[in-house]
Amino acid sequence: MTEAFEPRILAFCCHYCAYAAADLAGVMRLNYPTGIRIVEVPCSGRVEVSEILHAFEHGADGVMVAG
Amino acid sequence: MIIGEQKPLEEIMNLLGDARRVLVVGCGTCVTVCFAGGEKEAAILASALRMKSKLEGHPMEVDEVTVQRQCEWEYIDPLADRLKDYDAILSLACGIGVQAMNERFPEYVTLPGLNTTFLGLPEEHGVWVERCQACGDCILGLTFGICPIARCSKQLLNGPCGGSQNGVCEVSSDLPCAWHLIWERAIKFGQVERLLEVQPPKNWSRSRDGGPRKIVREDLRLPREE
Repeated sequence: MTEAFEPRILAFCCHYCAYAAADLAGVMRLNYPTGIRIVEVPCSGRVEVSEILHAFEHGADGVMVAG
Repeated sequence: MIIGEQKPLEEIMNLLGDARRVLVVGCGTCVTVCFAGGEKEAAILASALRMKSKLEGHPMEVDEVTVQRQCEWEYIDPLADRLKDYDAILSLACGIGVQAMNERFPEYVTLPGLNTTFLGLPEEHGVWVERCQACGDCILGLTFGICPIARCSKQLLNGPCGGSQNGVCEVSSDLPCAWHLIWERAIKFGQVERLLEVQPPKNWSRSRDGGPRKIVREDLRLPREE
């Protein structure tokens, strides 16, 4: 039996909104999949294409830029 | 500035052939400003090459470096010690930068990652347009600052031609007629009589018709040893 596919998702989250929302989710004890990794950025406009590609190169199945 | 466009990834992969270690060399001047071959584009291309080669089953090691200006010896000389570590050098500079690399480092072949497209300017964000053909004998003083050599499809010295309709060139509906623009400028400045003088054929010997061009300024040359 094969294991179910668990995507590894990297989320670049803006300090002022998306990251604060993720923080709130934690305070509210909401669950999200363990395959999600959050990187806090000062602004989602800060995220470079090369950083998104870097994530894919190093095994991410998906990248989310939230801001 | 010089405007360039990155070659398709497939073409670049074909140029690189069996190379396993590749150095992508970006340029920090014109091609950075037109988002074709600067530091960011070099990093993106290097990443794309690594992923594509890995997916195709023959992974490449790809590093990148960007120099301030690839068309001057002073800026590319520091690369000398690095190049020996690579099977292929891929330049993201214009054709001048690629040739400067090949000339300065003749023991390596530097490949082009861009197509050098034209001399122009960004008309708006993401739109570049041609403005100069470096013809070597500037006539902007006769044409109210609009170049018919670069901007008229027929390079007419006396225009417009019959293909100009409502200020648009017959070649393309989104191409303004350069001569229409020149006449509008002449009318604005009240100097249409200047355009009534028929211009003789242009002296193209100062352009490419005279072969590759060269400028020598003796007042700027450094003293040479006898």
